[in-house]
Amino acid sequence: MIKAIPSNGRGPFPRRPKPARSKARALRHKRFRLQKTLQLFVLLGMAYLLIFNFMPMVGIIVAFKKYSIQNGFVGIFTGEWVGFRYFVEFFTDYKFATVLTNTLAISLLKIAMSFPAPILLAIMLNEVRRSGFKRFVQAVSYLPHFISWVVVAGIMTAFFSESKGVINQLLVGSGLIDKGIPFLTSANLYWGLATWTSVWKSTGWWSIIFLAAIAGVDPALYEAAQIDGASRLRRIWHVTLPGIRSSIVVVLILTVGGLLGGGIMGGNFDQTMMLGNTLNNSRSEIIQTYAFRTGMVDLRFNYATAIDLSQSVISLVLIFASNAVSRKVAQTSLF
Amino acid sequence: MRRRNAISRSLEDRVLDTVNIVLLVIIAFITMYPFYYILILSFNDGGDAIRGGIYFWPRSFSLENFQQFFESSKWMRSLIVTVARTVAGTAIGVMFTCVVSYGLSKKDLVYHGIYMKILIIAMYFSGGLIPYYILLKSLRLLNTFAVYVIPGALNIFFVMICISFFRDIPEELIESAYLDGSTEFNTFLKIVLPVSLPLLATMTLFIGVGHWNSWIDSAYYVRSENLRTLSYRMMEVINQTMQPEDPTARLYAAESSRATTQSMQMAAMVVALGPIMCVYPFLQKYFAKGIMLGAVKG
Repeated sequence: MIKAIPSNGRGPFPRRPKPARSKARALRHKRFRLQKTLQLFVLLGMAYLLIFNFMPMVGIIVAFKKYSIQNGFVGIFTGEWVGFRYFVEFFTDYKFATVLTNTLAISLLKIAMSFPAPILLAIMLNEVRRSGFKRFVQAVSYLPHFISWVVVAGIMTAFFSESKGVINQLLVGSGLIDKGIPFLTSANLYWGLATWTSVWKSTGWWSIIFLAAIAGVDPALYEAAQIDGASRLRRIWHVTLPGIRSSIVVVLILTVGGLLGGGIMGGNFDQTMMLGNTLNNSRSEIIQTYAFRTGMVDLRFNYATAIDLSQSVISLVLIFASNAVSRKVAQTSLF
Repeated sequence: MRRRNAISRSLEDRVLDTVNIVLLVIIAFITMYPFYYILILSFNDGGDAIRGGIYFWPRSFSLENFQQFFESSKWMRSLIVTVARTVAGTAIGVMFTCVVSYGLSKKDLVYHGIYMKILIIAMYFSGGLIPYYILLKSLRLLNTFAVYVIPGALNIFFVMICISFFRDIPEELIESAYLDGSTEFNTFLKIVLPVSLPLLATMTLFIGVGHWNSWIDSAYYVRSENLRTLSYRMMEVINQTMQPEDPTARLYAAESSRATTQSMQMAAMVVALGPIMCVYPFLQKYFAKGIMLGAVKG
């Protein structure tokens, strides 16, 4: 019945006559020529994206293929298909449980500590009445964001090294302990080290976003709460926190989405590359660094890509899941 | 009744304020002291520093660490490479990003929709490390200076920011230039860029700091010792000191030379931090803008 009507999406009307279409194309060509400088600008960028972004995306298939680096980029396509062999190898790797545990543990610890810390700092800064002091603390607290993990690691050795670190010098010097604590080379202390260095590095920077949110809270709400006799702590609890709830949720979703990378504040990869070493390896190796080392050091390119891809898939699932949960629980979501 | 209430409230206020300020002072100290500590250590004699006990000022002031740093051809070379890559990388990155996003900011561009889709896909998906490495190798970029500059030349996140910035430039400004017979390119160069200075400053800061701090590319995309960056050299020294202290190695290395390596590392860190510290106060007002946009990107 329905098929009896010639369907072209516009109901039972004849198709648009051909000449009009080519006229539109001619018009587009003319416009294109008029915009040639702008088009050139954009096409340069598109060519760049094609080479540096899209080619590697296509190159992901190396995870499903036999490959030797001698064959260059083309070798990715000519290689023999091996299916999910490298994924299976990763999931049955003797290190799989270790790297997965470390990745999850470090990331969750970071969320637990370095996610609330900036909120707390922002609230504390907001309660300061002397604006000079407030600005000073703010300026100081951003600083660690701008230095690299290399410098952070350098600072760590200066402070936490077993024999020469300032902390151990003080502890041993005051007679509290006889022998320095190997903060940097003890596997058991690594998770703590990773979490606290991340808190140190990111708290100030991320407090900016919450300070901006607090500044947007209606002052009339504070006055009303004050008239009702709410104490300052109560005002923070009942006015400030609900006022910045949506910012908190957005940042939380982003953090959970980037969970395996340490969240947006984490920089898990650089951190582990710098602070991880042979002695704390059993607690410091994470999926990313493991993939990196299998690829760049052991030169097992297809295996490393498979590991990388597994992590991306897990991350994607996490961001969608956290988004769905927050839509249900907090009625706020990213998409 | 009323008075008691007022007093108790002000008491709570005072306690809260004091606790708050004390905590913030502690936080500021914990954040700032490490920087101060490496500064004083870098100005202290290396052999003396190894005895420890330096906390607030250099015990035996000396410029030797810096002298050693600047006299060492290995370190100087890395400093030059780092400066060169930062200048070249930032200039090319900022320019290219601006040019591409100016084109994309025009909504009446033919194929605009397709271009934007390509951009969004490139922003959210990536091929990951290994295919990227294979690509760089195939393009013969490995082990060249260009590998520092070209692969990061287009920052998609900043393209998004630039597009929205350029769209906010008043239409009349650009149209008047056209009416005066200015070409598209001249309009971009003489009208659009000058009114976008705050944007250019923010981008220069973030892209520049990224280049200055970068070390992964120096460690894995480059093999020539002449192309190593400052961050890479520091990483080398730190990795040595992070490793467990090997007793045999200690026997071989004279105590004094060990000490100098440590102190020189501090000098290198001060050199690495210097430029960031110098531009820091001037660019602070742009930070807030930067992070708000960064949060959108995630």
